[in-house]
Amino acid sequence: MTATAPTGGRIEIAGLTKRFRGFSAVEDLSFDVEPGRITGFLGPNGAGKTTTLRMVLGLVRPTSGYATIGGYRYGELERPLSTVGAALEATNFHPGRSGRDHLRVLADAASIPTARVDELLELTGIPAAARKRAGAYSMGMRQRLGLAAALLGDPQVLVLDEPTNGLDPEGIRWLRGFLRRLSDEGKTILVSSHLLREVEATVDDVVIIANGRLVQAGTMADLRGTAGALVRTSDAEALAGALRVADVTSSPGEEPDTLVAETTDLRLVGDVALRAGLPVYGLEPRSTDLEQLYFSLTEGTNRNEGAQSAADQQVPHQPAPDQDPGAASAEEVSS
Amino acid sequence: MIPAVRSELRKFFSTRLWWGIGAAMFLAGAGFAVILAIVLTLEASPEAVAAGQPTGSPTQVANSVYTGGITIGLTLSLVIGILQIGSEYRHKTITGTFLAIPRRGRVMGAKVVALLLIGAVYGVVSLLGSVAAGATVLSLRGADPFPDAEVLRALALSLLVLGLWALIGLGIGILIPNQVAGLLISIGVVWIVEPLATFALTFWEFGRDHVVALLPQSATNAIVGGVTQQTPTAAEPLSWWVSALVLAAYAAVLAGVGTVRTLRSDIG
Repeated sequence: MTATAPTGGRIEIAGLTKRFRGFSAVEDLSFDVEPGRITGFLGPNGAGKTTTLRMVLGLVRPTSGYATIGGYRYGELERPLSTVGAALEATNFHPGRSGRDHLRVLADAASIPTARVDELLELTGIPAAARKRAGAYSMGMRQRLGLAAALLGDPQVLVLDEPTNGLDPEGIRWLRGFLRRLSDEGKTILVSSHLLREVEATVDDVVIIANGRLVQAGTMADLRGTAGALVRTSDAEALAGALRVADVTSSPGEEPDTLVAETTDLRLVGDVALRAGLPVYGLEPRSTDLEQLYFSLTEGTNRNEGAQSAADQQVPHQPAPDQDPGAASAEEVSS
Repeated sequence: MIPAVRSELRKFFSTRLWWGIGAAMFLAGAGFAVILAIVLTLEASPEAVAAGQPTGSPTQVANSVYTGGITIGLTLSLVIGILQIGSEYRHKTITGTFLAIPRRGRVMGAKVVALLLIGAVYGVVSLLGSVAAGATVLSLRGADPFPDAEVLRALALSLLVLGLWALIGLGIGILIPNQVAGLLISIGVVWIVEPLATFALTFWEFGRDHVVALLPQSATNAIVGGVTQQTPTAAEPLSWWVSALVLAAYAAVLAGVGTVRTLRSDIG
């Protein structure tokens, strides 16, 4: 019944709100997560991502609103581990229990055979280490063990909270390929991260929240916008006119005598300039600065709501606009 | 429910705690049995009895010998109960537990069943030590190691006692979220607060007659029916089955309150 629900493996979140003693962690949040796609769930630390995911998984009771998976709330699922797999934190292990026993404890609870446990240890590449006690595991091993736990019941839907935390570059690449394979099988995958850069190569859709509110939801392509070409010439206005004749829209660049043409065809821009008798001092492809866009999106709302004292305590300080955003956020501790 | 209980049992037996506690149960059972089998078969002079030397019928002596390690046993059971839920919160494995079984009442029910089973198993381990050692020493000293079938009742009830104390631990483990604090406080209550309270209450007539017997360890000792003090200020113990109900009430209230709290709480 649960596996063949009419909405398949879609996650639907509607009007989800959670308030803790007057502090609003998540406020009227609504979005859908589609099957067969990887959705990035983004926001700065303290934005309410983890609280949202915990409400989806029935661990935290919403103040109002609801979240359903394939049309059912988590608590109503007949076989939860075979419907939704979740990896929330890489530290959810008893240090004195082996990784394999950790999985067997969960497998027992969900009536999953031990053979499946060993199969997953192979799949996630930790069969030998899994017999050692989990307290000695590296962060990367914990992430893999968490992923193995999420996949135990071969679920249609995967919910992963900051799965790249603590993974080395090789691990991140492995995870990317792994998630892509699962998504190609038609699974619904929701991955949270506080860094757009970490997931931008992986995700198809993005949902961005800040201060518990939705800021943006759409495809990654929408967020990127149209790619263009940045051209530097002596008379930007004249070149804009020449490009218009060639059916290419353009807009003035940030610096004087520069132009952003809405085409990825650099050769076309060069040819037009040559025909118009205008010099080309520089010509390069230009894509949206996603990281900059992400920070402007999440920071704008933050500033508007900065009056909440409780929110100030909860939300780590945003990097100032002139700082390098990547360097600043790398120092933040994950929520 | 059976898968949930199996999962709880695997949680307990997949860390190194279980054999350490098992060894302690066995040694405490055997050790106290030897000591009590010697002490309780000493000739009791009237002066010594008046000064507080515990005495009893051959049945009470046998009961005391075989369940002499019960204070250690109940303390260890308490620890097991606290850890069965406390370590889930401490190491955040409670998240995985509730993801696998979102019906939290079922999880708590499984913990209760598992702890009663674990208590009974350790009770058997403890009795293996205490009956083997105690019966040997009693025979050597010329006392009857099995004077009455009532001894068997005491042995069977000691299994229940350990399970009930584990449930008391389960409740404490939920009500005192800091696991280390929970362990220290409950052990302090068992070893220091309750003995002091029992002593203090003997100076107050109402307390001696109506309160002391209701304290958890007094109830425990009355269930297994051991020797008693014959001094004028000693409290009169309740019958074994009333005491069993009293101890079960402690377990039910603490585990029940803890369960209700768990059902409603946010797991963050």
